Amino acid sequence: MDSAAISELPPPAATTKSTAHPYSVRICHWINVVACAYLLVSGVHILLDFPELYWGNTGYRGYPAVFRLADWGLSWDAAGALGDRRWGRNYHFTFAWVFLINGLVYVGWNLYSRHFRDQMLPARNELTVARIGTELRDHFRWAARKHSSSGSYGTLQKTSYLILIFVFVPLMTLTGIAQSPGFTAAMPWLLDLFGGRQSARTLHTIGTVLLVLFVIVHVLEVVAAGFLIKVRSMITGK
Amino acid sequence: MSKPISRRKWLASVPALGGVLLTGCTRERFVPPRVRGGLIGAADVLTMSTNRLLLSGQQLAREFPRSEIADPFPTWNQTNPRNEEYQRHASEEFRNYRLPITGLVQRPRELSLDEIKSLPARTQITAHVCEQGWSAIGEWTGAPLHSVLEAAGGVTPAARYVVIDTFDRWYEGYDLFEVAHPQTILAYGLNGGDLPRGNGAPLRLRVERQCGYKNLKFLRSIQVVDSMAGFGKGTGGTNSDFGFHWYAGV
Repeated sequence: MDSAAISELPPPAATTKSTAHPYSVRICHWINVVACAYLLVSGVHILLDFPELYWGNTGYRGYPAVFRLADWGLSWDAAGALGDRRWGRNYHFTFAWVFLINGLVYVGWNLYSRHFRDQMLPARNELTVARIGTELRDHFRWAARKHSSSGSYGTLQKTSYLILIFVFVPLMTLTGIAQSPGFTAAMPWLLDLFGGRQSARTLHTIGTVLLVLFVIVHVLEVVAAGFLIKVRSMITGK
Repeated sequence: MSKPISRRKWLASVPALGGVLLTGCTRERFVPPRVRGGLIGAADVLTMSTNRLLLSGQQLAREFPRSEIADPFPTWNQTNPRNEEYQRHASEEFRNYRLPITGLVQRPRELSLDEIKSLPARTQITAHVCEQGWSAIGEWTGAPLHSVLEAAGGVTPAARYVVIDTFDRWYEGYDLFEVAHPQTILAYGLNGGDLPRGNGAPLRLRVERQCGYKNLKFLRSIQVVDSMAGFGKGTGGTNSDFGFHWYAGV
């Protein structure tokens, strides 16, 4: 059928090749793994201690909520017993700084080293409908290694990483600080941007769910491409 | 012809210039009274100093339209201190309540509720942002904390923190940058009426750029000090003694 489209791609690798990740990617990747793990667990603790979400500037117990954990079988008191917000807040804000500084180093370093331009910006011939269609179909057939096992990133991979880094992560950061009374006094436009402090909290939570889904897909892709070889190359660069 | 300024004279002016540049740029403005160890402490300092740099113009926290007011305003945590002294004042409708202002002020004194109400008032419709995650908007009326301190002659040059303690046995320290902010008020009114007991009568502090736990209720006294070392565990407040951030701008 569209054998023409497939023949444009590198031939399927018989065995997965490792990826020559530069230092800038490897170091920042693993710092990021630790920071995100802490951010997730501490964020869940913070949410469990007030397990309702609202829209707008106002939200308190008894005010109409858009999400209540109690509706999903976990009562307020049971959720509160699971969450420790003192631990949660201390570690959430600590690893938010680790995450932010690591992210800025990563972006700065890879702009400087041209990693973004050379490895992550999709080339014009990668952005055709046929090419993206083929990649998508192969992903659902569990055959993504055709595109990413060759040692360079596939088009979908490049696009999703770029959207994650330059759109999603900034939005998560901004919805985070839009909940802070100090930062919003300095930058009140944050409240307007997200429709209020409680809206920002709700969007921050939805963003967390999307981020967890991203990580699940990311790890599944690594498994599909050859888990041990891919993880080794993210550690050793070979 | 003006005489050229001698080198010695010029050098002598350097400390004076440094003093001018550093006014209001004290350590207390950027760093908590006691910095915790490790990464958490580093993050505390980063958060506070970033906030304070961004807020160096003493910008006001967002004030909202009347339509956004929560009425009745939600109550949370302590709503009626069991303290005997508090109960007596409450039963007398706070007619005999006096707020002592002591420590590093020029003229230590006590102020009655009427005296505080006679100071220039400020009304602000602002969001109370609880660290637990809830927020609600109220119309607060009160006397700016700096006016209250001026009623005691103002703070002395050695002053670094204002310590407020409450009838429900809480205390918190505030650096002078927070104290000087126009929205930092001792509120005696909420949503057009007297401050209800459940929300902290007779007086509650509003620090609009920090989380709810810095907005103490049921105020008992004000003390101006040069160090937080002698209070509680020395971290600067009850909440930070419990392990929360001292600076609650997040």
